[in-house]
Amino acid sequence: MEPVLAKLLAASLITPFLTFWILVLWGPKIGKPRAGWVGLIGGMGVPLALSAVVFATWFFTGPQQRAELTAAAQHSQVFWAQLGSFDVTFGVKLDSLTVAMHFMVCFIAFWIFFFSIGYMSGHADCVHHQSKYWRFFAYLALFAFSMLGLVISPSLLFLFIFWELVGLCSYLLIGFYFETDYAPPAAMKAFITNRVGDFGFIIGLGIVFTFLGTLDLEGAAAAFKTQLATSTGLFAPQVTVPIFGWTFSGMTLATLMGVGLFCGAMGKSAQFPLHVWLPDAMAGPTPVSALIHAATMVAAGVYLVARVFRLLTPDAQMFIAVIGCITLTFMALIAIVQTDIKKCLAYSTLSQLGYMIFGMGVGAWTAALFHLITHAFFKAMLFLGSGQVIEGCHHVQDMRRMGGLRTKMPVTCWTFFVGVLAIAGFGIPGLHLGHWKFGLGGFFSKDEILAVAYDRAYNWGRFGGHSDGHAEARAKGEARRAYTEEPAGGGARRAESDAGGRGVRLAAFAGEGAEDVQSPAAREGDVHGAEGGGHHASAKDGVASGIRALPKWMFWFAILTAYVTPFYMFRAWWLTFMGKPRDHHVHEHAHESKMMTTPLVVLAVGTLVSSYFLFRPMLSHAAEAAADAPLVVAVDGEAREPAAALLSLDHTPERDPHKKLVGLVGFAFLIGFAVSWAIYRNGLDAASRIKAIPPFNLLHTLLERKYYFDELYDFLWVRGCRAVAAVCAFIDTWVIDLVYNLLSGVTERIAAFSGRVLDAQGVDGFVNGISETANDLAEVLRKPQTGGIRKYVLWSVGLVTAAIAALIAAMRVNGG
Amino acid sequence: MLTIELTHYLIVSAVLFCAGVFTMATKRNAIGILIGVELVLNSANVNLVAFDRYRAGLMDGQIAALFVIVLAAAEAALAVAICMNFYKNLVTVDVDQGDVLRG
Repeated sequence: MEPVLAKLLAASLITPFLTFWILVLWGPKIGKPRAGWVGLIGGMGVPLALSAVVFATWFFTGPQQRAELTAAAQHSQVFWAQLGSFDVTFGVKLDSLTVAMHFMVCFIAFWIFFFSIGYMSGHADCVHHQSKYWRFFAYLALFAFSMLGLVISPSLLFLFIFWELVGLCSYLLIGFYFETDYAPPAAMKAFITNRVGDFGFIIGLGIVFTFLGTLDLEGAAAAFKTQLATSTGLFAPQVTVPIFGWTFSGMTLATLMGVGLFCGAMGKSAQFPLHVWLPDAMAGPTPVSALIHAATMVAAGVYLVARVFRLLTPDAQMFIAVIGCITLTFMALIAIVQTDIKKCLAYSTLSQLGYMIFGMGVGAWTAALFHLITHAFFKAMLFLGSGQVIEGCHHVQDMRRMGGLRTKMPVTCWTFFVGVLAIAGFGIPGLHLGHWKFGLGGFFSKDEILAVAYDRAYNWGRFGGHSDGHAEARAKGEARRAYTEEPAGGGARRAESDAGGRGVRLAAFAGEGAEDVQSPAAREGDVHGAEGGGHHASAKDGVASGIRALPKWMFWFAILTAYVTPFYMFRAWWLTFMGKPRDHHVHEHAHESKMMTTPLVVLAVGTLVSSYFLFRPMLSHAAEAAADAPLVVAVDGEAREPAAALLSLDHTPERDPHKKLVGLVGFAFLIGFAVSWAIYRNGLDAASRIKAIPPFNLLHTLLERKYYFDELYDFLWVRGCRAVAAVCAFIDTWVIDLVYNLLSGVTERIAAFSGRVLDAQGVDGFVNGISETANDLAEVLRKPQTGGIRKYVLWSVGLVTAAIAALIAAMRVNGG
Repeated sequence: MLTIELTHYLIVSAVLFCAGVFTMATKRNAIGILIGVELVLNSANVNLVAFDRYRAGLMDGQIAALFVIVLAAAEAALAVAICMNFYKNLVTVDVDQGDVLRG
């Protein structure tokens, strides 16, 4: 059984790859409706079937067996190439995270492929009399191949290769309508912005390879742990970078590595300074926006952070949290003023990605990935809903021209509403029947992230100050042991992985760990924990100094966004589907089609149930891998070593994050909906009145111009590039061209001399002269050749006579 | 008394030769030219035999003359065949008409 699962995952790459080539080579022959079906079956149907088998098998496999399978897959890698002393191998990463991600990608992509068949069929897709229909599905199949490859990659090298491939697919699909004037620049913007992030990624990879000696995820994590424990390599007091000769002290280089790797995620997941490409990426067809720019590819950044989580230092994590926090808040605010339905969803995606990254940054590993999966479901559905609306309204995207579409598109309307509820975090806190809580996926995942953020901000006791010297020394010892010991001894680990039912809680070292922990190993850890916690361990250790509480503003930003999100989502829904039709022309022609509503319903059901019951337990299990991290601050709200050994966690029942959050954001969705309804229930009049009031008009302009980021980048980079280009052009014209023209002029003169004089008169003259001479001679010689035989006789006789006469004369002269 | 000397033979031979050449140069009829050729050949024969007669005891001149006769016979056969082909092609034996070899 062990090789089979890994092989099934590897096999899921084959058919999309083949489908891509089939469609590229024979696409036009396969024809319009059939190419789509080929793409659906080959590109995603087969992988989905394989993935379902793997997922089901994995779901019913015990934790012990899962660990064995993971190890077997890790050891059965195939040798690929040798780079110096370093063997490059490829294989399949088989763990809970991969299985969950793989199934999520396959499932969502399958239904989006399905949707695309309907969406593209009604499309004016002819350019220069060539249908682009098959090309669309070829790109989708290539994307399926790349994305699945990315998910199953066991090493950062292959992850990077597939990472670039999905970037390529994104570029191709954003620029799909290349005959327009807006799509090509958008595609270029996406590609170039991603390059900026990938530059950081490559630096991170370089540091990983140089200091950890391998790009394999497991190997790198193990090396990281060893180096931390022995204070060598990255963690040596003085680290010198071999090539540049730069010297770093302490953990700086390790932090730089984490930040570098995160830069890749920043580009792909469109985080704050590099967020500008994602809204423009909406230039692509809507199914692409749903698949690549909402559900899967943009989440790859979060997936990368999850994978390299074990290589992050506390400082790097803090950096990630700050970036995520800025993104999630400011992008959500922009979404309020968007009038284009897709742009609104794009900013919502940015904000939700910010939530995930923020979750990773604060250490809510499981929650961030869970949010990734729930978000993938409902955002894919929302985008497909918007695709149905755009298609039904004949490519009208402006929500101000819609309204009242619920009568024309009932299925789209209500599935969209499910998505709105999910993203708004709809749930009824406190209401639960045993294990079963009432709420949509988005509610649980967002709640978990916020709970961890709350813990990090308020329950994270500050260390130092109130401890005696003795305890300080002991704490240091504890900290050192905590690095070196097996993580299985960590009391912080939950004994049962039923995280979903209990939401987030701190199994804190200080005090109540014993309730949760059953295994003897864990009990031992608990003893350590109690000691460490009791003495309020102070640490001036280099590692611990990096672990600090989350700044409170970040938590409040996330809370603010929890109120903003329902507002803009409800606004979008209300403007599109509710109220009175504002443009009768659009309203009359609106329609929906079966082919497109089926995926909507499927994904709506997925949003309602499957994400929570299927994926949540698996991610809890996957968190075990992240908990292995030597420097991790928290996973899923639980403090891990060494943090727990070093920090005092003020975690009393009255400071339980869950209870606090119920009061803070439990009913945020209601407030958001209510405000939105109050403003937009009678159309756009109230909104435009609010827009005119002084503080709001400036704010509105600021948001509408997206904080002037495009203008700023235009000023900083685009203009700068153009200025450099102008200088280059000047140099090109006046230096390079000058030299070039000079050289070419001289060459031309030489050529003219050589051609007209040497060749024409010299060589040709000589050759022609010979032939002309021969010709002239022949003219002379042909004269006697009259053909008259009698003349010949006369001539020969005459000449012979003359010759004899001459002979005799000569003899006379000689003979005297 | 007039003795027949070598010079007389040579004169006859020269007359024959000149007659032959004259015939070849003036006749337009191919057969006439052939006759001229025969005259030239035979003038050469007369020369050969005459020189042979006035040299001591050697027969090589006469043998050469016999060779010439044989060759002349062969040449005549060939030449007549050429004349016939000439006629076939041009429906005449006037050599002035046959100037296809003109340069």
